[in-house]
Amino acid sequence: MEQTEGIIHRQLVDYIVAGQGDFYRLAYSYVQNRDAALDVVQESIVKALSKSDSLRRPEYMKSWFYRILLNESMNHFRRGRRLVPLEDTLADRAAPETDPGLRLDLYDALERLDLKEQTVIRLRFFEDMKLEEIALATHTNLNTVKSRLYKGLRKLRELTGEELNDA
Amino acid sequence: MHEAWERARARYQAAALPEELAFAVAGAVRRGERQRKGRRALRRAAATALAGCACFALLLNVSPTFAGAVYQVPVLGQLARVITVKEYSINDRDHLIDVRLPALELAANTDLEQRVNTEIRTRIDQVLQEAEDRARETREAYVATGGAQSDFIPIIITVDYEIKCQNGQYLSFVLTKTETLASAYTEVYTYNIDLPAGREVSLRDLLGPNYKQLANQAIRAEIARREAEDPDNRYFHGEDGVEGFTSIADDQRFYLNGDGVPVVVFEKYEIAPGYMGEQEFEIIP
Repeated sequence: MEQTEGIIHRQLVDYIVAGQGDFYRLAYSYVQNRDAALDVVQESIVKALSKSDSLRRPEYMKSWFYRILLNESMNHFRRGRRLVPLEDTLADRAAPETDPGLRLDLYDALERLDLKEQTVIRLRFFEDMKLEEIALATHTNLNTVKSRLYKGLRKLRELTGEELNDA
Repeated sequence: MHEAWERARARYQAAALPEELAFAVAGAVRRGERQRKGRRALRRAAATALAGCACFALLLNVSPTFAGAVYQVPVLGQLARVITVKEYSINDRDHLIDVRLPALELAANTDLEQRVNTEIRTRIDQVLQEAEDRARETREAYVATGGAQSDFIPIIITVDYEIKCQNGQYLSFVLTKTETLASAYTEVYTYNIDLPAGREVSLRDLLGPNYKQLANQAIRAEIARREAEDPDNRYFHGEDGVEGFTSIADDQRFYLNGDGVPVVVFEKYEIAPGYMGEQEFEIIP
């Protein structure tokens, strides 16, 4: 028991170093700014390592870390929205009225979704997380995750015209 | 997977990573490690106080016996068994609570049965109530300082039990409550029943009148052995004003392992820094 914490901590360091690219991309998808995304990743790592005692089971490492990462991203996103002129942060994401005839690429379409739906879809399809893990990482329950996923998929179908069944 | 997803995923992963990412990550790892060490030192200072709170005395109140759906788990012959009387989860904005509450069934001794069960029940009710109050206060503070309600990370509480020993002679089980907020903290309660005698068994019963001396010796020797085995194993030795292990308590928590050997349990922080976790020592009579 006493050694496990040390082992988990070392695993966590390895996991963080190996996953840095994923963390950065996810953070970037929220804050849409390179320096801010770097900040978010750094803050998350510091928080995670200094609290690594609270991670008791290595199998929850990913959900546990993503929970911190998502929290930091959201905090930053909110702070950014308060401090930075609106057009800088939101210009790209303010969804222009969709031309019903225009078919968007899936990746671009994703940006049109509500943030919470984006999160679920990114974690599910880009980070290969199970719905249960997503529920843990976003501290919501499984049903909420499912409903966000299906809502998001439905919107994506409308935007892209593609059949996008959950894998 | 659908090919549209493959394409989107490829685009997602192709996004350029900034050159300084690796550097930034390495810096953050170092900073995190430093903070962790700092927190450990802090905890060591808080350890005495925490250990004091954790060992609160048992209060035996009389209350009606348990109601509720009864479904049983392990059967211990005709004499006794531990059953799960209540199993529930609470999932709301403030907490995620998972409880598996045990109760004792003793064919021959309803007094003892009732006493132990009441004690378990009272203790868990109290513990959950406290945790709930704490969760509410924490969330109010979080919101008051500008956090959004929906971002509050709920407190996670788990109550569970484990049967450590069951034979014709003894029944021993451990009840744990773990609360996770920033870091996890587990409280442990142990119950050891001498079945033929129909009473709770003490270390004195098991180890004889010299039980304290015997146990203390065994624990000191084992601490020295563990420290010698790995330099990462550290126990308090009175440095920084934090008293380490001196002696087992009169009401020392212990359980009986599968071989019927008493195992003394110290909670996290009690005799060693937090990263060492819970500490257990077998005391071979």
